[in-house]
This record gives sequence, structure tokens and C-alpha cells, in this order.
Amino acid sequence: MIPILLDGVVQGLQLALLAVGITMIYGLGGILHLAHGQVAVIAGMTAALLMGAGLRPLLASALGVLTAGLFSVAMDLTLLQPAYRYRGEERLLLGLVLTLGLAFLVDGFLTFRYPEVALTLRLRTPSVVVAGVTVRTASIAVSALALAAFAALAAFLVGTWLGRAVRSLMQNEVGAALCGIDADRTRTFIVGLSGLLAGLAGVAQGLFSSLGPEMGTELTILALIVAVVGGVRSLTGTFTAGLLLGVVNTFASYLVGTYITLIFLLWVALVAILVRPQGLLAYWT
Amino acid sequence: MTGVLRVDRLVVAYDDIQVLHEVSLEVRPGEAVGVIGPNGAGKTTLFKAISGLLKPRSGHISWEGARLDGLPAHAVARRGIVYVPPGRELFPQMTVGDNLTLGAYVARAGVHRRLARVYDLFPRLAARRPQRAETLSGGEQQMLAIGRAVMARPKLLLLDEPSTGLAPLVVAAMYRQLTTLQQEGLTVLLAEQQVPLALSFCARIYVLENGRVVLSGPPQALLGDPALKRAYLGVDVPP
Repeated sequence: MIPILLDGVVQGLQLALLAVGITMIYGLGGILHLAHGQVAVIAGMTAALLMGAGLRPLLASALGVLTAGLFSVAMDLTLLQPAYRYRGEERLLLGLVLTLGLAFLVDGFLTFRYPEVALTLRLRTPSVVVAGVTVRTASIAVSALALAAFAALAAFLVGTWLGRAVRSLMQNEVGAALCGIDADRTRTFIVGLSGLLAGLAGVAQGLFSSLGPEMGTELTILALIVAVVGGVRSLTGTFTAGLLLGVVNTFASYLVGTYITLIFLLWVALVAILVRPQGLLAYWT
Repeated sequence: MTGVLRVDRLVVAYDDIQVLHEVSLEVRPGEAVGVIGPNGAGKTTLFKAISGLLKPRSGHISWEGARLDGLPAHAVARRGIVYVPPGRELFPQMTVGDNLTLGAYVARAGVHRRLARVYDLFPRLAARRPQRAETLSGGEQQMLAIGRAVMARPKLLLLDEPSTGLAPLVVAAMYRQLTTLQQEGLTVLLAEQQVPLALSFCARIYVLENGRVVLSGPPQALLGDPALKRAYLGVDVPP
């Protein structure tokens, strides 16, 4: 039981890392980012291609994550900024169509161009024994990275001017403008930051098993479920929902098999939404 | 030109409905200027246009000699013109302290000193410091909105209907603090439904009616005008 639980927590941290970008982009701009899993795949594929070209894994991974961030910034400047000129439902719909289109484009390009490329990273020591439980070093490494990323994000949001601006924009766009906060620039920054976090999750996937060009949609869907269960405006909610769904996911694959775990996840999401439609930890941000 | 706001033949329209018809006014440094007029006269529209929340159809707004109209709201705030709207536009789930700190986003030096000053002006806010803004009473929220604006170290404060919906005692306390700020040299443009408040607070008044400036001058001069008395003070003046 304990190893499965641990596995779930490790996976949950990655899910949360991926979902937190969807939460922030939605909270900040009212756009549901449907190409977020593709951003993670871009990071992994870039890393795989660079490693194929002879770069060292660590450097290749770092450059992959950076590429995901830059790709997201470019997406914000070209696709999302025009959508922000509209308000309410129009903006939401336009955002859905634009990001979905981008997801198709990225999926199509990667599977067509690099069908055989996949990212697989191997650590020198495969596993260690901690308190009688065998743990993969890869799990420890990616969890430490995810926790460090979350801690840095929390410190940024609470302790810096830009972080405060981000939180204020999530609550009141007009009020933020009256305080002199530039919504567009703040959004570009957050979309880029979300891209970096998604990239980290993508590269981490390569450390777990492997990341292929076709995995974008699957990752987007997982992240969306986590973001919705957590309440799309709450970061602590996203973190908790990620852990919860990670544990549910691993137990489901252990007990009934990987093939139908997604059904289990959707059931949990359904119940969570019925019981707490405002999100698990709404207003705790 | 330092600290001078000039509005020149400003026209603002929502779709086909023209709300402001060639409104002109001026605010000089250190002045308290009032805009009075009935509901729907265009006071809030005028303030929104100055603060960049609305784009005027024609006319000019200039600040310290430079053009202001066409700038987005955050850029106007950066120039030291801070708008306190009737809806207050606070950050409901953030604490009183965080709301105030965010006010200083454009003027970060000396935040702690100014924070102490705002708590000094509005002791009720000091007591509510760790509470979320949404839990405050209407009067406290209005004080928080004014406090947040003061945190920006404004050169010009745009106060839009600060007394609406507040108890008379709260209004009196708020105006005492506003008078203190004004005497320290703060320039204020005030829209107010309660005409006596505007007349006693401001050195000059513009009367807005159906989107037009129909009267302007110092309060004493306006008080003698039968039109003002009839329309806004409810006093019937024999012809």
C-alpha cells in the first residue's frame, strides 16, 4: 500500500505542476488553455532532440524547459493578446478555439515530423531504499523539483510586487488597473512562467518513463481535470487536487488496470464538482 | 503646467447615446474642485474618461501639458492620477493590508511610512488589517478605497461619490480626513450627490446637467443662483 501511495503523491505533484499553469492563466485572463499539455510535450521533445544532437541530458532538459516558456510567451503575444480585447463569454470562447487550434497544430506537426522521437532520461542510481521502502531516485528527483517549484511560486506570489499584482488581477481587473498594474504585461509573464512549469512536468515525464510526441492531449486533459477539481482560481486547491487525483490514479491503475483509470478520474472529478462546485479549496488562495 | 488637469470640449458616448457634450474644466495644483449634478448627469462618465477607463469620442484631456486621453487606465494611474470609483473596485479576498500595499504599486519607496499614515488617518482600517476586504462594512470599504489611493502618493485624487450609501456620521468622519489630506496639499476632483458637502469642501464647483456644464464658479457665487437652489437644494426661491 505505502509504495502505491508514494507513487500517487509523486505523480500528483507532476499533475499539479502541469495544472497550476491552467489555473493561473484562467484566473488571470479568463482563458482556458487547451494546449497546455502540448507545451509540456514541446519541452520534452526539444530535450530529446537536443540529446540526440549530442547535448548532455541536464543541459538539454534545461533548454527544453526554456523552449516551452518561450513558446508560451510567443503564444500569448500572438494568439491570446487579441482575445483579451474581448470580455466575458466572447473571450472564453475565442480562447478555447484559439488554444484548441494550437493544440491540433502542435500535435500534427510533432507526430508528423518526429514520430519516432521520445524523451527518456536515466539516472545513474535507479533506486534507493528509504525506511524499508524501495523508491526510485527519479521519483525523488522530480518530486523535489516540483516541491521547489511550488515553494518558489508561493514565495513569488506572496512576497513580490509582481506576485501581488498577479493575485490582484485574479480578483479584480479594473481595481488592478486603477493601481497602475498593466494587465497585458503581467499576463504575458504568467503565461511564460506557466510554460516553464509545464515544461518541467514534461521533462519529468521523461525521467519517469518516456514522453512521446502524441501525449499532448492526454496531458492537457489530466491537467484540466485537476484544475477544475481544484477550483480554477485557487492555487492551493490545484495543488491539493493534483495530489488527490495522483493517488486516485495510481490506486485505480493498481486495482483495475491502466486502461480504465481515466474513467475513475472523471468520476472523482464529477463527485468533487457536485459536492464543491466552487472547487475544493475555493477562496483559500 | 505642473499638476494642472485640463479637460477641453470632451465628448463621450456609449454606442449612439452621447453622455457628455463638450465638457470643459480645469483643476489647478492644490485645489479641491467639485462636480455636482443629478443622477445621470454624466459625472461618473467624466471621471471614467479622465482615468482612462473610457475612451472619449472627441475633445482633449491633458495633464501637466501632456495628452492623457487615449492612455490605458494603468498608464493614467502611473502619472499620479488616482481614481476612487463609486464601486470602489477593491480586491475582495485580499486582506486590508494587502489592498493598501497594492495601492503603492506605482510608488514603492516609503511604503511602510505611508501605510502607517493611512492607518493613522483611518484607525478603523488598522483594527481590520488582517481581515479580507469583503468582510468590511460599506464605510470601512470606502475608507479602504481612499486609503489605497493615498498609498499611490497621488498628485490628483478623483473621488467619485464617496458618500453614497454611507451613514451620516461615517460621511462626516471621512470628510474630516479628506480635509486633512487636502490641507496638506492634495489636489482633489470630487463628484458628490450631497451638494452641501461639495459646497463646503471645494473651492470651485462645476454643475453638470444632462452632460453639459451649466454653471461654474466658487460656492458662494453659486449659492446665490436660484437655479442651483431649486434643482439641488430643494429650496424654493421666489422669482
